[in-house]
Amino acid sequence: MSSAGLVDTDARVIACSREDEDIFRIELEAPRIASACRPGQFAMLEPSPGAFPVSRRPLTFSSCDPEAGSVTFLFDVVGAGTSILSRSAEGDPVRILGPLGRGWETSPGRWLMVAGGLGIAGFPFLLSTADEAVVMAGTRTGRGTSCCPPGTVLATEDGSVGVRGLVTGLLEDVEWDSFDSIAVCGPSAMMRAVVASAPPRVLGRIQVSMESRMGCGWGVCGGCPVPSSRGGFMSCCKDGPVFRACDVDWERIS
Amino acid sequence: MNPVTEGLPDSFWGIPVPGPVALASGTCGFGLELDAMGLLADVALVFSKAVTPEPRDGNAPPRIHDTGYGLLNSIGLANPGLDRVLSEVLPAAAGLSRPLVLNVACESVSAFGSTVAALEAGGSHAGYEVNVSCPNVEAGGMAFGVDPAAVASVTRAVRRETRRPITVKLTPNGGDMVSAAKAAEDSGADAVTVCNTFLGMKLDWRTGRPALARGAGGYSSPALLPLVVARVWQVGRAVRIPVIASGGVWEPGDVLELLAAGASLVQVGTGLLRRPSLPSELAAGIRDLLCGT
Ligand SMILES: Cc1cc2nc3c(=O)[nH]c(=O)nc-3n(C[C@H](O)[C@H](O)[C@H](O)COP(=O)(O)OP(=O)(O)OC[C@H]3O[C@@H](n4cnc5c(N)ncnc54)[C@H](O)[C@@H]3O)c2cc1C
Ligand SMILES: Cc1cc2nc3c(=O)[nH]c(=O)nc-3n(C[C@H](O)[C@H](O)[C@H](O)COP(=O)(O)O)c2cc1C
Ligand code: FES
Repeated sequence: MSSAGLVDTDARVIACSREDEDIFRIELEAPRIASACRPGQFAMLEPSPGAFPVSRRPLTFSSCDPEAGSVTFLFDVVGAGTSILSRSAEGDPVRILGPLGRGWETSPGRWLMVAGGLGIAGFPFLLSTADEAVVMAGTRTGRGTSCCPPGTVLATEDGSVGVRGLVTGLLEDVEWDSFDSIAVCGPSAMMRAVVASAPPRVLGRIQVSMESRMGCGWGVCGGCPVPSSRGGFMSCCKDGPVFRACDVDWERIS
Repeated sequence: MNPVTEGLPDSFWGIPVPGPVALASGTCGFGLELDAMGLLADVALVFSKAVTPEPRDGNAPPRIHDTGYGLLNSIGLANPGLDRVLSEVLPAAAGLSRPLVLNVACESVSAFGSTVAALEAGGSHAGYEVNVSCPNVEAGGMAFGVDPAAVASVTRAVRRETRRPITVKLTPNGGDMVSAAKAAEDSGADAVTVCNTFLGMKLDWRTGRPALARGAGGYSSPALLPLVVARVWQVGRAVRIPVIASGGVWEPGDVLELLAAGASLVQVGTGLLRRPSLPSELAAGIRDLLCGT
């Protein structure tokens, strides 16, 4: 199937490897998706061809190679679906629907990219479009830091790698005005803290990549609400997953 | 008569259909996304997401939980409401390549009547699916569906306002579905939909906290198929109007099984969420299966 670049196809696994404790990288041959996807967009992957589990799982494009016709995802094993996916072998078919959602509004200039945990997964793709960027990442332990792009400024809560503390600690000395665009991706509490620590004058430059449980990923089930600052909800899969920070009602984010 | 060996239906309510597969309410919006993707060719009818008199934001998240074997949802009938459906959605849906049936959910008998009366004024929709069965709305929904007398009142209220065909979507959650179906038939329904989601819940035993913010929700999935086959079988033997099966369809054989149980049309819901191309896959699979018999 195909329309407006959206494709539902059986992709082939080129490689699936363990990057760190319970973090996997999967590369799929999916030429039509590779030529259409943008940074910040995502795909829905069917973990198994059978009826278990019943829904697909959303993953952000981590990188994409239109010439080779491949897309790569970086994912944490948290439950049944990602566990099945992590056992994929070269040559296996994985059903994939994408590219979905609105990605980052990419514009030239200097970027600040702030990640929490595996929020870093999508930044290599965004980084490939930026003129200049500073990447900061925070994790609880050093787990996953090997997945960060080279030069990433790191903070760990246990102090095992980089600066001890939270990623917001790294932001204390940031010259916010020197960045044209700011991208934030990670757990919602971390994103709320980053948005709260930024001076109000730069709020308009901050984009956040939100997560919500997804039933479909293509805009029809109503399962993925993100509270809107104008009241009501936006849909994470269609209006997002990337939003302007000022459009999100952070008070109603759990 | 076994509809599978007698041949597949080529019309429903007098509307020519390409096959027996329809889209279940709440899992296809108003059909616009699928039409844009060119995926409605094998779809008999599109059953819209529930329309309520007022706009509804829906329930707090999480609204969806995949138990692995099935899907729990408590969307809370999120929809733009009657006025915007009339002014924005129905004009956009006028060009839909397959007929649209509007699913309507209200909290009182009179609201069902007035909502359908208002919808009559706009749109070229093919009919109505009267949702007396949604388990997600505290004040109404389920109460109608479990009580045959209430089903009769709602059906009559809608019947008075429209000459378009009506199907009444029944609930499996309490009450006697056969009596409810008969009540709908006696009150002027042109079909019954068997059935809506089953009330279900997932708890974390460590914390006691439910997976859905609202607690319980509607359960759907291939796991429902035998439950729905039994109900289609029972209801189909009790009424003369067509039965539209809803629940548990995953594979071509599931559609044929529901037809063999007595359904005239079969909706796909959760399967469609997972695979927007499912209707065409089912159509091709059904052709293969029937060629092999
Ligand atoms: C737009 C989007 C992009 C995403 N991109 C990535 C990515 O690039 N890499 C990555 O590792 N993960 C990503 N996720 C999260 C990923 O989709 C979930 O981890 C995955 O769906 C879990 O599936 P499962 O079957 O393994 O777990 P399940 O068995 O379904 O759930 C196990 C537990 O995981 C948590 N969980 C499940 N789904 C979600 C969710 N959607 N959001 C938050 N927590 C959840 C819940 O606590 C749940 O109890 C993304 C989510 C969204 C919405
Ligand atoms: C996310 C979701 C939303 C639904 N919303 C509605 C609705 O608004 N009105 C309704 O009558 N049924 C609704 N349903 C029920 C479906 O139309 C269908 O009857 C049910 O899911 C069983 O079919 P399935 O097993 O194929 O999913 C919804 C189901 C799901 C999964
Ligand atoms: S996941 Fe279905 S509407 Fe967003």
